[in-house]
Amino acid sequence: MSVGHVQRVLEAAGIPTVGIYIAAFAHVPVRMGVSRALITDHPMGRPLGAPDDAVRQRDVVEAALELLTSTARQTIVSFPHPYRTAAAHPSA
Amino acid sequence: MTTPENESPLTLKSFADSFFYGSRSNLDFKFLADLSDTEAADFFEGLLGELSRTINDGDASRLVDHARSWQRHAYNAHLDSKAAFAYDDVPFSILAKPLAEARVALVTSSGHFVAGDDPEPFGIEHMTQTEAEARIGEFLRAEPTLSRIPVDTPADQLRVRHGGYPIDATLIDPNVTLPLRAMRELQHDGVIGELAADAYSFVGATSQLKLRERVAPLWADELRAAQVDAVLLVPV
Repeated sequence: MSVGHVQRVLEAAGIPTVGIYIAAFAHVPVRMGVSRALITDHPMGRPLGAPDDAVRQRDVVEAALELLTSTARQTIVSFPHPYRTAAAHPSA
Repeated sequence: MTTPENESPLTLKSFADSFFYGSRSNLDFKFLADLSDTEAADFFEGLLGELSRTINDGDASRLVDHARSWQRHAYNAHLDSKAAFAYDDVPFSILAKPLAEARVALVTSSGHFVAGDDPEPFGIEHMTQTEAEARIGEFLRAEPTLSRIPVDTPADQLRVRHGGYPIDATLIDPNVTLPLRAMRELQHDGVIGELAADAYSFVGATSQLKLRERVAPLWADELRAAQVDAVLLVPV
């Protein structure tokens, strides 16, 4: 909820924002009226991806930044890729 | 063996509750306290089933899937009975320039700070993660402190403390909650025009009213003064 409040205050102050929310918190941007959100199906405490999975982390950040150009009042998009890239999978 | 917190008999409910800031505190699984007995039993039965299959083929990804799906269920269920904030309006601003020309700041509720710049919550020096978890109720009543983190700060100079979420992963790699590496790469590759000189972090377990009414407006002023065009936020 904290980031939802910060997003709302920044947007009202004229600063466009995007937040990266895990699926467990997907209700937050909807209920709180957040302008732009990317939803990752990641576990708690790992919103960007697994530790040291730099490829996935960059993909998530880039997908979120792309939403900043949305001119719709509310844009909530699910990140379509799994938690780990194949390269970061321990059994790969 | 874990010592019971009191003399009362161990029940499924008291066992599940003990993961929520109790004798078995585990912030990955603190949601167990929100489950009914039936749901908690389903969680453990399912976990052991997945564990048996993992013993056979070594594919632990199904254990991750089990944790994720139950987190998703627990946090999205019974929303109307929780004291969640809900708003009908959507405050909204449009990015006034192409992303490739924009100065973008990173703000996260991860609880990071730079070594030597400890926000010292409640005036306590060197508060540990264990202490932060024990004082979660006080954090939730206090107003948050914003830590400024120069974006070229080496990872080994970052510190993190947050009583509300499992910090294990971010201790291994701060980029899972504070994606400075990705932001620097995207600046280098021209996806964004410029990464703002400082990133910002605060402990998201905080007074929502103090944040909304008093603190966040000051942060907005600071970001505008830094001529930030857009902000990427990471809740934990």
